[in-house]
Amino acid sequence: MLKYMIRRGLKGLLTIFVSITITFFIIRLMPADPVSLLVDPKMGPEVQEAMMKQFGLDKPLIEQYFIFIKEAMAGNLGVSFKTRQPVVEVIMQRLPWTMLLLTITVAFSLLIGIPLGMLAAKKRNLFFDKLISTLVVVGISMFIPFLSFGLLYIFAYMLKLFPTGGAYTPPPGEGFAYYLDVARHVALPALTLVISNVGTIILYTRNGMVDVLKEDYIRTAYSKGWNDKYVIRTHALKNALIPTITVTGLMIGTMVGGAVMTETVYAWPGIGRLIYDSVSALDYPVLQGAFLVLAIAVVIMNILTDLAVAWLDPRIKLGG
Amino acid sequence: MERRTFLKTFLKNKLAVIGFLGVLLIALSGLFAPFIALYPTGYGTEILEPPSAKHWFGTDGLGLDVFAEVIWGARTSLYVSLMAVLVAAVIGIPAGLISGYKKGIIGSIIDAVIDIFLTLPVLPLMIVIAAIVGSSINNVAIVIGLFSWPSLARVTRNSTMKISEMQFIEAARCVGIPSRTILFKHILLNIAGPVLVNLTLVMATAVLSESSLSFLGLGDPTTWSWGTILKKAWDAGAVIDTPNPWWWWFFTSFSIMLYVICFNLLGNGINDALNPKTRE
Repeated sequence: MLKYMIRRGLKGLLTIFVSITITFFIIRLMPADPVSLLVDPKMGPEVQEAMMKQFGLDKPLIEQYFIFIKEAMAGNLGVSFKTRQPVVEVIMQRLPWTMLLLTITVAFSLLIGIPLGMLAAKKRNLFFDKLISTLVVVGISMFIPFLSFGLLYIFAYMLKLFPTGGAYTPPPGEGFAYYLDVARHVALPALTLVISNVGTIILYTRNGMVDVLKEDYIRTAYSKGWNDKYVIRTHALKNALIPTITVTGLMIGTMVGGAVMTETVYAWPGIGRLIYDSVSALDYPVLQGAFLVLAIAVVIMNILTDLAVAWLDPRIKLGG
Repeated sequence: MERRTFLKTFLKNKLAVIGFLGVLLIALSGLFAPFIALYPTGYGTEILEPPSAKHWFGTDGLGLDVFAEVIWGARTSLYVSLMAVLVAAVIGIPAGLISGYKKGIIGSIIDAVIDIFLTLPVLPLMIVIAAIVGSSINNVAIVIGLFSWPSLARVTRNSTMKISEMQFIEAARCVGIPSRTILFKHILLNIAGPVLVNLTLVMATAVLSESSLSFLGLGDPTTWSWGTILKKAWDAGAVIDTPNPWWWWFFTSFSIMLYVICFNLLGNGINDALNPKTRE
């Protein structure tokens, strides 16, 4: 077990390293000159040079890369070109909002998706199953702006139930009123992400359940005279949910950055929106920091998923 | 697989037929756009008119016909997704074939590269790269293709591994047929089914990516694309402001959904018709 953890941790570190290396050089390929954005053109060339030096932009690219890696390992991600705030601070302001949206989305997707998937498996090839499969295709095909526009049109424009964007009404209130305000703001972005992700959960739960119900040990359990509910709860469910857990892990890992569209439409102050804003501002340090966070999120979720699956299915030996 | 059984199973699947017809409709309207509608350009006099017999999908903030924009947008979407599929196929199929057939260092390296690419945050990276390479329609297509090949390579690799263990491949090797011929003739023909299914899925996701990029303002501003129309509508406040010209965004985003759903249904249909037994 310990050996597995060490090996897995090393592989994770390698993945993070490769990922941030690729993104570092991709970001540096951006054509425009960040200095022109940093420095007021009225200032003389000496000021510009001093500025380049201050941000380490005067050194060769490869040296900048090694400095970035060295500093990142010490927990220093540099300073934002745009706001002059430390990048770690910028990201820490955004991360909780992403986590909030993510937690709500995943919780509701699982709460809705697992029961529907199980029901579809139980009634497989009947009308209900076919209806669900069709809806799943629609969900997987969802174009986020379309869904968001539709929800905004109905709930924000016509019914005026929810706000059109942002995470709270400025200035932020206090106590209960503040939480209620945030809840009203998170409703539509979360609903958007739930609708576009729940299909995947339903599909994997259904297919996992269909596979497990074919196994010999389930037939044995039935032949002992146990009823449906008991067999499914004690025998089938744990194994049937393994694919669901794997796909949920992947979903969380990618959603940290994959919610760019949702966060942009709803002006949600998360990591995805931060990436979009930083591209237009040529804010290299923030982009690098954001991509580092994404890589870490993916790796952590992969490790957690493997552990969860191994815990559910004792046949999988982590040592190997 | 008998061709007749394939067609029969495929035609029996109503959703697959709907998908096929939808794809056909979109392909024809994109192909024949110049004969269907005039290229929308300049300004019109009828601004923000609701749908009517004259303007089926209404008019936008500049008085242009939204129906014409959607038809010309279909052309862009088709072009971009075909280009992206081409790029993905040129990289993904050989990579999958080689890594599935050749065990040893080359196979492991390609496999590791596929793995790394699959963990990269696709959309954020596409945004950065699209901002770098500039917003021409070909650049956007290539960027999307460069991020679509790993899933194709993975499918090709898995199918290749299954086929290479079969006796006829071993026989071909014993007779002394060169690896290249075995790979691109004997194996590729036998895994054409799953590869084709994945290609239709790439068509679907490519159009989602293209629309997303142009919605974010990273598309080609000189051509009509569905994402560009939506960006204009959104920037003009057509979704949440009063008065609310819903037709400006509704028909456009509906077309995107139609395109993606139809390609997904077509892919599922081909898949089911190829493996009638595994449909359970």
